[in-house]
Amino acid sequence: MELKKLIRQPANLFLNLLFPAVLTLVFILTLADPELGMSVNLVVPGLIVYAVIFLIMTVAQSFSTERQEGLLKRLNTTPMTSGEFMGSRIITHMLIAILQVIIVFALAFVLGFRPDSGVEGIFLALPITAMFSLSSVGLGLITATISKTPEVATGISFVFILPQMFFGTFIPITSTTEQIAAFMPSYYLLDALELVFRGDWINAGILIDLGVISVVSIAIVAIGVVLFEKYGKA
Amino acid sequence: MSSNIRSLLEKLDEKKLHEIAKLKKINIPRNWSRTLIVELLALNASTQDIRNIGRKPLEKRIESRDFSAIIIKDLVKQFEDVTAVDSLNLEINQGELFSLLGPNGAGKTTTINILSGILKPTKGTAIIAGFDVTKNLEEIKKVIGVCPQEAAVFKFLNARENIELFGNIHGIPKKSLEERTDTFLELLGLAEASKRKAKDYSGGMLRKLNLIIALIGDPKIAFLDEPTVGMDPRARRKTWEFIRSLKDQNKTIILTTHYIEEAEALSDRVGIIDYGKLIELGTPKDLMEKHEAQNLEEVFLKITGRRILEGM
Repeated sequence: MELKKLIRQPANLFLNLLFPAVLTLVFILTLADPELGMSVNLVVPGLIVYAVIFLIMTVAQSFSTERQEGLLKRLNTTPMTSGEFMGSRIITHMLIAILQVIIVFALAFVLGFRPDSGVEGIFLALPITAMFSLSSVGLGLITATISKTPEVATGISFVFILPQMFFGTFIPITSTTEQIAAFMPSYYLLDALELVFRGDWINAGILIDLGVISVVSIAIVAIGVVLFEKYGKA
Repeated sequence: MSSNIRSLLEKLDEKKLHEIAKLKKINIPRNWSRTLIVELLALNASTQDIRNIGRKPLEKRIESRDFSAIIIKDLVKQFEDVTAVDSLNLEINQGELFSLLGPNGAGKTTTINILSGILKPTKGTAIIAGFDVTKNLEEIKKVIGVCPQEAAVFKFLNARENIELFGNIHGIPKKSLEERTDTFLELLGLAEASKRKAKDYSGGMLRKLNLIIALIGDPKIAFLDEPTVGMDPRARRKTWEFIRSLKDQNKTIILTTHYIEEAEALSDRVGIIDYGKLIELGTPKDLMEKHEAQNLEEVFLKITGRRILEGM
């Protein structure tokens, strides 16, 4: 169903699939310049994080639209349990995140992305990013809970998107901003992806990053689900 | 023997059943459900039996036999300082088409929302097909179908996809689901438009789709909250026929509507609520006789007229 929603709604299609593609093209073509020490390989981890944090907005819009249209109430009167509903939605959005990442990889590859890790690095990046996408789904659910309409949800989602965007993803981290960035899950994904693409797989940093991403993402999605179930459905 | 008598009794209306009870010199309370009266007459119950049943707590009655599709017991719903449903007591029989009428804000939709598990009651309870709304919601959701006031459909899906999505949620086998979908689309005149996305539907078409989705799971009990709002008279008549056909399948239907003539045409019994309280209950005919009215709308205006005057 979500796939049909993705394909049949132009705004969704743009936000979920075309937007990451456009971003990849724009950022690699404008930022990647080996002469200035900025290779395509350096830009790609940030692009992946950037694509996945926008899932916050997609999730928030999706849930708040369904609530506004009375669909959540209606689904609540069917034999489908809350666990089945939430579980299927979370998995679907994780799959969308993976699809976004594949698009970024494919386009980046065409534009010269050649990680030191080889293809194995790309395959390892997918599950780490999928785990991170859980935090975006969780933040999307929290946004949908506190927003009355899809329009408000779009605005509020930027409260969660912008800090992650500016602390490391969009603007490189400095020693000062690093202390703030360390509170955001995107910081650990960025670090993990950089290590993975470098082929530095025996680095304990990857495991630490993956551990932090997993714990934080599961905690955020759990908070999101509980808050949405309690206050967001009606 | 008693099953033959039962089948004969089942054909009689409530008034006739009470007349038979009177002839048999047994007193059956007026507010008891028709199914229960049939059962008692078929079993040749005595006045003492009836007294005993009356003394039994509600839970025991439900345990012993499922006489009513819905039993609402002292139901209260409070929203901060507003009492939307105020100590509501009501029994709705299996196979009955019951209309809940009342002015805007009388508590009709709140009552339906409680019965369908969307809202939790502040006090009291309701038993739906033998299950308590405060305890067994999961069981209740398997036997009910809800047609909400707003057309809650997935706009990016076509009618068939919407219906099949909800049919799958209800676990209807594929073949049976296809057959039911075809039948319902045909009956409500949506067959030709079934492959058009719901976002391109008119208001009336969305209402029809809304109704089909509520019934695709083959529910025992259907809650229809203003199902014909926004339909043109022809579409409304067609929907009435469809609703009548559900009654023929022995489904219990709880209907709320602002079209009083709709309630009069379709209902076995009508309950009028105001300020969350049940203020009148009976068959349309009985109510018209009682209030010396030409039609149910007159009855409604007589009973709830003060609300209209207050609003002026």
